Amino acid sequence: MKISPPLTLAALLALAFTLAIGLAPQAAGWSQRDKAGNVFGLMFGDGRKLFANQFFTMADVYFHSGYYPSVFDKNSDEEKEIISHSHGKKESEEDEKNEDFLGKPKDWIDAFGRNFKITKHTHLEHGNEREILPWLRLAADLDPQKIETYTVGAFFLREHLNRPDQAEAFLREGLRNNPDSCEILFELGRLYHESLHDLNRARNVWELGVRKYLALPPASQKESKLIFEEIVVNLGHLEDEAGNYAQAINWLHAAQKVSPAPDALQVQIDAIQKKISAKQP
Amino acid sequence: MNKIFALAGVVIKELYRRKDFYVLFVLTAVLTFAASAVNFFQDEKIIRYVKDICLLLIWISSLVIAIVTTARQIPAEREARTIFPLLAKPVSRAQVIAGKFLGCWLAAGIALVVFYFFFAVIASSREHTWPVVMYFQAAWMQWCLLAVVIALVLLGSIYFAAPSSTSTISFIVVAGIMLVGGHLNTIALSQPEPMQSVLAGVYYFIPHLEWYYLSDFVVYNMGCVSWVKILAATLYAAAWTGIFLTLAWLGFRRKNLTT
Amino acid sequence: MTTILQTEKLRVEYRSRDFRQTTKVALVGLDLEVRAGEVFGFLGPNGAGKTTTMNVLLGFVPPTSGTGRLFGIDVRQPIARQRIGYLPEQTYYYKFLTAEELLRFYAKIFGLAYAEMDKRITNLLKLVELEHAAKRPIKSYSKGMQQRVGLAQALINNPDLLVLDEPTSGLDPLGRMKVREIIQRLKNEGKTVFFSSHELGEVETICDRVAIIHQGELKAVGSVAEISAGHENLEKAFLKIVGFQPSPLLP
Repeated sequence: MKISPPLTLAALLALAFTLAIGLAPQAAGWSQRDKAGNVFGLMFGDGRKLFANQFFTMADVYFHSGYYPSVFDKNSDEEKEIISHSHGKKESEEDEKNEDFLGKPKDWIDAFGRNFKITKHTHLEHGNEREILPWLRLAADLDPQKIETYTVGAFFLREHLNRPDQAEAFLREGLRNNPDSCEILFELGRLYHESLHDLNRARNVWELGVRKYLALPPASQKESKLIFEEIVVNLGHLEDEAGNYAQAINWLHAAQKVSPAPDALQVQIDAIQKKISAKQP
Repeated sequence: MNKIFALAGVVIKELYRRKDFYVLFVLTAVLTFAASAVNFFQDEKIIRYVKDICLLLIWISSLVIAIVTTARQIPAEREARTIFPLLAKPVSRAQVIAGKFLGCWLAAGIALVVFYFFFAVIASSREHTWPVVMYFQAAWMQWCLLAVVIALVLLGSIYFAAPSSTSTISFIVVAGIMLVGGHLNTIALSQPEPMQSVLAGVYYFIPHLEWYYLSDFVVYNMGCVSWVKILAATLYAAAWTGIFLTLAWLGFRRKNLTT
Repeated sequence: MTTILQTEKLRVEYRSRDFRQTTKVALVGLDLEVRAGEVFGFLGPNGAGKTTTMNVLLGFVPPTSGTGRLFGIDVRQPIARQRIGYLPEQTYYYKFLTAEELLRFYAKIFGLAYAEMDKRITNLLKLVELEHAAKRPIKSYSKGMQQRVGLAQALINNPDLLVLDEPTSGLDPLGRMKVREIIQRLKNEGKTVFFSSHELGEVETICDRVAIIHQGELKAVGSVAEISAGHENLEKAFLKIVGFQPSPLLP
């Protein structure tokens, strides 16, 4: 069979055109199949989540100035993502005790090699915490559904870098991408309460958090129990601070139902009740 | 020694008359500028990620320059048959190996000076400090590593005729050592025999190139490494370079080169 | 007369790279002697062992047994090549260098002093008529110009022995004449020239002595007149020595 090149070209062009017409509407749907319709999403597809996790880890590596366990080091799983668990707070004393993941040198090669790697456990301070921000920004861009990125980033921005405006913008962005996230609402409430001292906005945000929690299916509620407890306890403290003692007690009672340490909360309730008694003539 | 320097001079001339170095430098500069142009949370003091990216690019670029330049030296001499008029002169094969090594190493050194100067300018533009000694240590250690790598590639190029095979194998070996070389002893412990003994043996009989990566000290401003340790690492690199060059010479010494 | 180039029972075996590692004998106990001041032609059909002999003399291939000497020094010693100049059959030079840089490089290899180096480079570039192109990279040269660079590099150390491998092959008549002129000039200067060639007419006119090699063995050595004795010319003698049988179909 003789094939004419111009005819073949014309046929291929017609095929490409037809396919483009047919697939274009669906393709538009593909790009919106998740909420990450950005350039990273297009470039990496679902693989971007892996990159996001890696960048989030990089933030932790930077926070420890390179002192970080590799996949080959002992207890690496326990040590990883310390900043995420503590929301950027310094590790507990127990963590500090376990920090020596390198252990004793195994041989002279290991011992000598340690002269050329960072073996001192330090944390960024004096404003140098800003150095972790690029990695958090990238992690958020790559995986907008990774909630820890927003909470950790906002924590450092408001607590260590005195940038509540940027922290609020970052949390708001997180909230747009994750409208049902109790964690982000909790962090946003802390920002209004602790940094901006705006009790009304903090109350509104936390109360929204409570409503979001209660709207969750039971299985999800179980998972988010801890953050719910933190929200209601903070609401209790906020109302206590605002002088709404009865409301404060209500919140603390609600917290007692989910708290692993209800007795400690009872002590707080008793203290508020004493304040009420003292106020009454 | 003059013959070795003459041979080295030709290698350096070749590198700087080719486009490789310029392309890699421009690529490094463009990517670094692009990275530093991004404004994260409107904070202009953020610098470490730029340093990190720039140093990583410098590492990759210098490694590419060293490996690709070295891998083609002997095969290209043989393929273009320039080796014949050269060996017809009063020059020994050991001097050819030494000259090629020196040329590639000096060329890589010149590239490192250019790259690190660029890095220092970028870093100081935001940090407003010039920790020259720290930069020197990092560059020196990288240069020591490149000496071992160049000698290793030269050895490979004696046995593998195609520069592409030598380059690929060298990249894999160097990257493998950098990533897992220092952990082989740990990995060995979790393996059954005889794998355990094999891995432990490999651990002791490979050049530990991972020592020569001082970028973390520069990125995190962790200060300088003891000069005694730097000296010891330099001697270690010199020993491995010597081993690889000797093996390369032994391979090249009795090689039939037929016109 | 002093012996400049000498081989004694020179044997070269090549081992093939195939599975069986078969051995091919390229030279079988070659005894050769080239004296000072003579132009020595080294003849033989393709695959006779001419190139192998040159490869051994220049240190490219180690002999399996026997010895080769240049100026009384074993050819395995690089210093044996201090007083020789070598012109390969084709131009094999660093094309990214200019002619001047190439000559300077080889001059450094020979350890020439800088003042001497400059003088010699200038003279050689003049001799091979490349002064105008001295600062251009060799890659921009024509084939003839590249061949002239080759000749210049072979003479950079003012050699006492010139080894030429098919020096006129691939050259146009003018180029051939130039090479012949240079060989004649070197001869007049008392230099020794050892060259291989297929051009028997050329050999006949230039050479003082000739050696004919076939299947790795030396078949004849002597002056052109001695070898041609009893034959019409050197070519007929050569064909007889290598055992060439003309086809009965040819007129």
